[in-house]
Order: sequence, then C-alpha cells, then structure tokens
Amino acid sequence: MKIDVLRNVFEHNDRAAAENRERLDTLGVTCINLLGGAGSGKTSVLEALLPMLTDSLSVAVLEGDLVTTADAERIAALDIPVVQLLTGGGCHLNATIVQHAFDRIPLADLDLLIVENVGNPICPANFDLGEHLRISILSVAEGHDKPAKYPLLFKEAALVLLTKCDLLPHTDFDLAAAQQELRRINPNAEVISTDVKTRSGFDRLAEWIRKGCRKPVAR
Amino acid sequence: MHELSIAQSLIEVATREAERVGAVQATRLVCRIGALRQVDDVLLQEAFRIARQGTMCQEGCLSIEKTYVQVLCTRCDARFPVRNWEWDCPACGTEGLDPIGGDELELITIEAEMPDEDRCPAECV
Repeated sequence: MKIDVLRNVFEHNDRAAAENRERLDTLGVTCINLLGGAGSGKTSVLEALLPMLTDSLSVAVLEGDLVTTADAERIAALDIPVVQLLTGGGCHLNATIVQHAFDRIPLADLDLLIVENVGNPICPANFDLGEHLRISILSVAEGHDKPAKYPLLFKEAALVLLTKCDLLPHTDFDLAAAQQELRRINPNAEVISTDVKTRSGFDRLAEWIRKGCRKPVAR
Repeated sequence: MHELSIAQSLIEVATREAERVGAVQATRLVCRIGALRQVDDVLLQEAFRIARQGTMCQEGCLSIEKTYVQVLCTRCDARFPVRNWEWDCPACGTEGLDPIGGDELELITIEAEMPDEDRCPAECV
C-alpha cells in the first residue's frame, strides 16, 4: 500500500527548536547560533567579543564539540557561564541537545545565549536549534571559495564574519570574489571583517549584537 | 556525516505513518532532498541500512530524489536550476540572484505492508 506522506524529515528537531525559541522568547533571551568550519576562529572570536558585551548584557555560552572541554575552559576563564556539550562522534548539535542544556545555565537571568556549534561547515547548518540569529564564519585561511562550496552554511546567516583578516596580505584570498559569492547565496547578510590580533571589526560586531539583543529577530 | 541523522529522522517519520495506518512494516521510503543539503546518496543509503535495524523499516529500501537550487533571474525573470554551482542566467547572462528552493528535506511517500498482504519486497533504484 502506497501512502502519501510529504512531511519534513526534521520535524522532530524543528518541533524541539520551536519549543526552545518559545522558551527563550518568554524569558527575553536572544539566542545566536555561531557556525563555521573547524579552526575558523569561532572560540577566538568569542574570547575577543564577550568581554565587550558583559558590561551591558548578561551572557552565557554553550560550547559544542566532539570531545575535550578545551573550549569551555577558554570561555570559563572569562568568568562567563558556559556548558560544554560533547557529541561523542556527532558532527552537529541539534535542538534537543540544546534543550537539555537549558537546565544547566541561568537561563532566566540572561539577555544573550551564544551556542558555538561543532566546527564543521556542512552538517550543523541543517539543524535549527531554536536560535534567533545565525552568525556564520569564513576565515581567510579557509579560502574565498568556501561560500560557493558550503552554501547552506551562509544561506541562513544574518551576519557573516570574515575572520583572520590580518592574513589577507599573506594569502591569495580574493575578498571581492568571496563577497560576490556571499551576495549570491545570501544577499541580505551583513558582512563584517575581523581580526582578533588587532581587534579590528570587533566594535562593529559588538554593536551589531547589542542591536540584535534589543529585539529578538525571528528567522 | 549528517546522513545518519537524516536516515534516523526518515525512519522515525515513516514509522509513525506506517503505525498510523496499521501497517506491519514499511517496504519503501521515497524522499526528496535539495542540493543545498549537501547529502551524499551513497552515505545516506549506508546510514539508512544501519539505522533501519530493529525498526519497522528493517526490510525497507530508500529512494532518493534530488532537487537543484532554483534561481530567479533579477533582470529577465527566467527561472533556472543551478548546476555545478553555475549561477549566471542562461537566458541573458546576468548573475543570478534570489535562490528559490534547493533546501528540501521531505519524506514524500512510503510503501507499507498491511497485516493481510502477501509479502513482496520492494526494490529501489
């Protein structure tokens, strides 16, 4: 017997994500899903950014990794509440993993929750966690062709962070080509160039996040 | 390797549908997956064979329909599929913008075996 189904394959995840978003909305917490490949600079960006936010915002971080607590330790050193989410071998976080972590952070006291996803340019982009905003990272070291190669990573991003821009003079990274590809995939994304060595771009990034926190933006 | 999560989710949704109609097992699942999902067919089939063990889809097979990203040309309104990540409009040469679709991830149909049916294993291509 043939049965017409036409159902979203990730309906279970999307239901959990909707529950997460509703709970965050009720508590007035803005949630950011930070995505990027391994070594693209996600944790380094947080280390530079978070101290700029904590005078005006109450922030916590969920750190997604396969193994090790190294990243959570880096965030904890900044005196910021953090939970390390270990997936074992899993290559992405999902909405249920995040939901379980809500009970391990002072959620009701927060203005901003940042989820640093597992370092991977492919799989995490498929899973809605219940976030309000996605920030996707493209590092100069990865190459300007990555938006074309990993379009889903950049398609849903409200903001694309170019990281390691201090390396631009030392690489063949074609900034104009990267920006053109980004515009093709996601014409609405804001793009900010950053570099953690000189803190270039971080004032703009902090301002973008403070604005995003005033009014949660529905994806 | 998000293929395993996708395979598990496909089986969950198919099992729910099969149970809803009182079937004893699902013999075939047909899904539609957009190119933006960057799913590898071979890996998805392997993941499906692992994930189906001990479920109502244990003897089922999986058919995968792939869809391209569609782009609407902002100059001439032509609609064209993006192949090999070529975004330029084939009609007027404009760089294509406004991607439409390509992110599908749906279970379209299942074939289910009812309690009184003769067993006839499905073959997927």
